[in-house]
Amino acid sequence: MRSVHISLVLVVILTLAFVSATKADNHDRSLTIVWAEWDPANYLQELSKDFTAETGIAVDVIQIPWPSFQDKVFTAFVGKSDLYDIVIGDSQWLGRNSQGENYINLTDWINENIDVDSIYGPAMTAFAEYPKGSGTYWALPAEVDAAGYVYRKDLFENPDEMKAFQEKYGYALAPPKTYDQLRDIAEFFTRPEQDLYGIATWYSKEYDGITMGFQQVMWSFGGAYGDAENYKVDGYINTEDVAKALEFYTDLLKFSPPDAPNYYWAETLNAYTSGKVAMAMNYFAFFPGVVNPETNPTSHDKSGFFIAPAGPKGHYISIGGQGMSVSSYSKNKDLAKQYMKWFMQKPVQEKWAALGGFTPHKEVLQSDTFKMASPFNEAFAASFPYLRDFWAVPEYAELLETCQTNWSEAISGIKSAKDALNAIARKHEEIFEDAGYYDE
Amino acid sequence: MQTNRPYTASRGMSDYQLKMAFIMPTMILLILMNIFPLLWSLYLSFHRYKASMPAAPRFIGVRNYSRLLADPEIWGYFQTTAYFVVLAVAAQFFIGFGLALLLNRDFRYKGFVTTLLLLPMMLSPVVVGLFWRFILSSDNAGLLNFFLSPFLKSPIGWTTNPKVAMLAVVIVDTWMWSPFMMLIALAGLSAVPKSLYEAADVDRASAWFKFRWITLPLVSPLLLIALLFRTMDAFKMFDIVYVLTREGGPGTVTETVSMNLYKLAFRNYNTGKACAMAYILLIIIVALSNIYVKYLNRVKGEA
Amino acid sequence: MRNRKSFTHYLILVLVAVAVIVYITPIYWILATSLKGLADITTKLPKFVFEVSLENYQKLMPSDGVPGVTHLFLIEVLVGLLFFGFFSLFDVKLPSALSIRNLGLAWNAVFVLTCLYSFLTLQPLQSRFQTDARFNFLLLIFCTVIAYLLMAPFKKSNGIAPQTTRKQLLTLVLPSVFGTIAICVALANGGSKYFYQLLNSIIIGGGSTILAVGLGTLAAYAFSRFDVAGKDDLLFFILSTRMLPPVVVVIPIYLMYSALGLRDTHFGLILLYTTFNVSFAVWLMKGFIDEIPKEYEDAALVDGYSRFQTFLKVILPQSVTGIAATAVFCLITAWNEFAFALVLTEVGGRAVTAPPSITSATGSSGMDWGKIAAGTFVFLLPVAVFTFLMRNHLLRGVTFGAVKK
Repeated sequence: MRSVHISLVLVVILTLAFVSATKADNHDRSLTIVWAEWDPANYLQELSKDFTAETGIAVDVIQIPWPSFQDKVFTAFVGKSDLYDIVIGDSQWLGRNSQGENYINLTDWINENIDVDSIYGPAMTAFAEYPKGSGTYWALPAEVDAAGYVYRKDLFENPDEMKAFQEKYGYALAPPKTYDQLRDIAEFFTRPEQDLYGIATWYSKEYDGITMGFQQVMWSFGGAYGDAENYKVDGYINTEDVAKALEFYTDLLKFSPPDAPNYYWAETLNAYTSGKVAMAMNYFAFFPGVVNPETNPTSHDKSGFFIAPAGPKGHYISIGGQGMSVSSYSKNKDLAKQYMKWFMQKPVQEKWAALGGFTPHKEVLQSDTFKMASPFNEAFAASFPYLRDFWAVPEYAELLETCQTNWSEAISGIKSAKDALNAIARKHEEIFEDAGYYDE
Repeated sequence: MQTNRPYTASRGMSDYQLKMAFIMPTMILLILMNIFPLLWSLYLSFHRYKASMPAAPRFIGVRNYSRLLADPEIWGYFQTTAYFVVLAVAAQFFIGFGLALLLNRDFRYKGFVTTLLLLPMMLSPVVVGLFWRFILSSDNAGLLNFFLSPFLKSPIGWTTNPKVAMLAVVIVDTWMWSPFMMLIALAGLSAVPKSLYEAADVDRASAWFKFRWITLPLVSPLLLIALLFRTMDAFKMFDIVYVLTREGGPGTVTETVSMNLYKLAFRNYNTGKACAMAYILLIIIVALSNIYVKYLNRVKGEA
Repeated sequence: MRNRKSFTHYLILVLVAVAVIVYITPIYWILATSLKGLADITTKLPKFVFEVSLENYQKLMPSDGVPGVTHLFLIEVLVGLLFFGFFSLFDVKLPSALSIRNLGLAWNAVFVLTCLYSFLTLQPLQSRFQTDARFNFLLLIFCTVIAYLLMAPFKKSNGIAPQTTRKQLLTLVLPSVFGTIAICVALANGGSKYFYQLLNSIIIGGGSTILAVGLGTLAAYAFSRFDVAGKDDLLFFILSTRMLPPVVVVIPIYLMYSALGLRDTHFGLILLYTTFNVSFAVWLMKGFIDEIPKEYEDAALVDGYSRFQTFLKVILPQSVTGIAATAVFCLITAWNEFAFALVLTEVGGRAVTAPPSITSATGSSGMDWGKIAAGTFVFLLPVAVFTFLMRNHLLRGVTFGAVKK
């Protein structure tokens, strides 16, 4: 029994020591930012060290993996969790989060504290304003992003390849300007016996994978999701043009690696960095990993970048990037605003751009320093005039879900393009009807 | 009641008190965590309610139900689920039982071998689904296609080809859960008295005869219980399709009811409709297992 | 005749070997992938010969290095496992001063001292888990107390309890459990998110297993020995709660937990997983207790034991096998649960368990298969060891009362 007593004494000592030591805890001045899991979030964590140094407020950037990013943020919101103070969320979320009272209305605060004119206008509209054109702000743009392409310079500039391409297609091998050229080049480089394929782009059913990949083709071929004024969908998304676009996008699968129907950004990166494809589409924000010798040992120094090509009826590119909002369940709303004000200062934005963030600050964005800062920034800046977005209404998740499922069925040959598009049109109108958009 | 058993009164709790004290915590827990939520979701299933919106639930009668029952897509998800349950549970049953028959003898390292075979079921289904993505890959060092490559012209797109995607899910689920079936079958087999076989040997009975008339009747009650648990679990299958086939892709080929329900509830926040769908699923499962348990009791009675 | 028999015997052994290979290959592949560098993972064909690298495991560790005290804990776990495992497995006779009990006490004393040392040398935490470190230490203390309380009555055999089980429990299971907890605490305090989540898994998985098995055994005993009004219906009700697909109950539970503030708490998840498992535990334990002859109890009652004492001193020791088997199943279910953990915990939150986060290892070059594999393998180890220790009970324990002896 004696050893039991000894142990009990030890336990008591341990407890006392512990209790006395935990008094040193001082953690009430801290800020939690939630974002998706990618490099920009690491840059933001790095950038925030300056904020901590200035103010003594600790900043923690939590990263949620992309496939569950939307789900996890919304379960936290609907569960009224006060864990997150600042949410850096997708542009589509604005409608749901403003009407669901998850974001606080920042209109007055922004007009008083932030020089809106210093922010790139379209970014302000895309990431901060809801409803569009109302002048009501729910966020500040944090990261402006677009879908773009990376290609293998060593293949494109190889004289033998260039000659063979010229002979076969009758024009010079160069980064494609149109989708037809993209298709030719993809076909040209598809050589399964060498484990080389033409292109890797997004087809995955996860989150918004295939939708973000396909919508820019759809727009460029002359399609649209619907009429933003009266929410009519029938006759916009199920036209011949869109069917052609969908068939074109399905056709690209022939020049993609076998697993391509599952590709989203992670898989396209894997395919590109393992030297499997000649071209790959991704958000520009992922390209730092492509030029980093550690994460891309095979082709980090052989990569070039180009903007998404134009289609027969226009030139549109999927918008990426996110705005920074304050959670209405946060207990540190003032600290959050203080942080956002700090973040929007020009020197901070310059540093943000230098670290690799895609700044929304107009002057910084258009400066030559920014364009030269990385091999892809120029193509990124060139993409700007062409950006478009998905629906941002509160029902966007259902709309997105319908697109994901039907387009996934179309590319795997379960449904014809026409059937898939008709199904989307019918479902979308049903969703709008249920939500009362046609009531007046 | 206590007065009926005077001798217990002097020794602490009476039998009745003891019985209550032993059963009540479990019952309270189950009522609190199952019955109460079920009643709540029954209430919500008759309302138009989105948990993501501030508006309070609005009563709409059976509209959620009628909408769902009229939707052919929903029945598609039920079909997918049924198809999966039948294929996966059958495969697990035969493979698991076969393994148990193989292992039901004394050999060295038997305990070790059994534990090794049980490893798959100790993994988290979601991790299994994710890692099998890697194993089933057709362009990135996929192990299965590598082993099959001598027999195939081109690699199989296990998770991309709509014709084989369900098979891929079944393979993964079977790999993971046939050990469970094996374990329970093995428990049953090892409890069959050796003397019965010896008696049959004296009568020069064939191996098939011994299996059919000694092994099977004695093991079947336990096998049926194992089948019941596996069927119930297979009905709920969510984790593997969530990651392995990217939320039930390609298209909706592997989208089970649970997967669709998750999307309805936690992506679209159609809370009222999701509750209605959960109830439809619940009624089907309870009906099925009720039939099953009745049958089980009959078999147990005969054995 | 004899030759034929040995031929079939070998045939069967070969078949068993094939089965083992088929079932183990994916697990071997997880291990192999976890030991590969990036370049060896993303090759066209699977690579079987590769340079072993520990970089994937390093990714799970705190970014500013592994705290020194972790090694101490690790050594203690290994010594505990090897040393005491050796004695309990082979039942070596020892001089009384070196009895298993004394060695166990000495080992635990060293363990407590290491805990104290680790606490005193603890670096101020930078991570957000600071408040939880307090909880972790309380947990550690709690475990130590329980360990000693369990050790104390461990004197001579009291007749009915199977001795080896207890020895194994005390000398093998407890040290490895506490050691693992201690390692996780040390690494989580050092700033490792992975080990923080592993620790949560241990707390939630372990807590709910203990609760589910405990409640299940009590209820099973009552159902087995007493007349309960509407017994069959009640039992069917208990079973039917297991049939509920998680997604059916998760919606109201989610709303309920949100309203009560139980989301992202250890208590909430423990309660939930207990509910999950308790029905299974009741069914399994009832089958087992049914088989224990009533005469044992009657004899004890005649000897002047109360019902409760009888339960403690006769039924419990007799049902160790069933308890062990039930515990294995409950632990596996709770340990690996994903759907509820996904909805009821926050990324970067307090109570987030490992399964939702292992699957999220994406790096700047795409899917980080190496890190996923390493995370999976470490996560598998505790359950695999636990199951291996319980292997002898597993077979005899899962009869559900369906096998008539």
